[in-house]
Amino acid sequence: MSASPENLIAILVMALAAMAAKGGGFFAMRWLGRHRFVVAVLDHAPGAVLVSATIVPLAQTGGAFIVGAVVGALLTRKAGGFTPGLFGAVGAVALARWAGLA
Amino acid sequence: MSSLSARVTWRSFQAGALRMVLPGLASLPFGIGFGVAAAQKGLSAFETTLMSFTVMAGTSQMVALDIWAQPLPLIALAVSVFVANLRYFVMGAALQPHLPHLPWWMQPPVWYVTVDQNWAVNIAEYRRGHGDLGKFLGGGFVMACIWSGSTLAGHLAAGGVLSDPTAAHRLGLDFVGVAVFVVVATILFRGKRDLAPWAVAIAAALAAKWAMGGNWYIVVGGLAGGLYGAVRDLRKADVRQS
Repeated sequence: MSASPENLIAILVMALAAMAAKGGGFFAMRWLGRHRFVVAVLDHAPGAVLVSATIVPLAQTGGAFIVGAVVGALLTRKAGGFTPGLFGAVGAVALARWAGLA
Repeated sequence: MSSLSARVTWRSFQAGALRMVLPGLASLPFGIGFGVAAAQKGLSAFETTLMSFTVMAGTSQMVALDIWAQPLPLIALAVSVFVANLRYFVMGAALQPHLPHLPWWMQPPVWYVTVDQNWAVNIAEYRRGHGDLGKFLGGGFVMACIWSGSTLAGHLAAGGVLSDPTAAHRLGLDFVGVAVFVVVATILFRGKRDLAPWAVAIAAALAAKWAMGGNWYIVVGGLAGGLYGAVRDLRKADVRQS
């Protein structure tokens, strides 16, 4: 087990920067309070963040990922929830690749 | 918006940890890849594991590794890690109204466990009024352990069989991270009122990816969809009032 002091300082700086980004939004909301515009933005932000995080990998990878996304969404609706949707989505990607999709 | 108790029980911590095992495993190929890259940059196994456990943000760690050179550029490292993690700023802002009475000493652990899949799963529960801080912390803890363990495995097996990502690709494990977002978005979907803001978010995210590269698209898409939805809702409310 070895560690150089310079590397440890750099790791500490990185950890603090990551915490600043993670905590910054949480902290800022304490000051922004419950302004109706902020509340309205936050009503839509989680869904918007999720679809934004999803669409780029789907567009870039296509094929098997799109099959997985459709199966995952359908199973979540029809089979009722997180676990069947997640396992179904991953299984569908594996099957799609086995069938030759990229 | 419902606010939640800051009480944490061992039972809820365990439940949160258990349900995030599979999403945590999604980070295995990336973690192993990072471990291999860190070994090639000359970081020790201890330093690699410590970085993964304390920073717990894979993309920013990979970016930092890119500029990792002696003497270490501390300011560039701090700025690049902060910028690469800006999406967490939006996620933290969305989380805070659900935890308005969180004691100051509980806030850093909550910030620490705010990582993509853990945030997504828990914010969906918070919005439906039955979230649990123990589950959030437990899920984040197990994800930190799996992420750190996978980078250590990658470091120890640098160049060996573990650094071959084809097995994970064949099994579809590279899709688990995206699958979590798809499933949670499906759970959160409220029908017609979400269609336009989500379409705006998708268009903005694709445009940002094309114009800016990196992972800015999450921040840009999230803000664009949130702002559009807010302006539309407030206009509608004002029209109804007048």
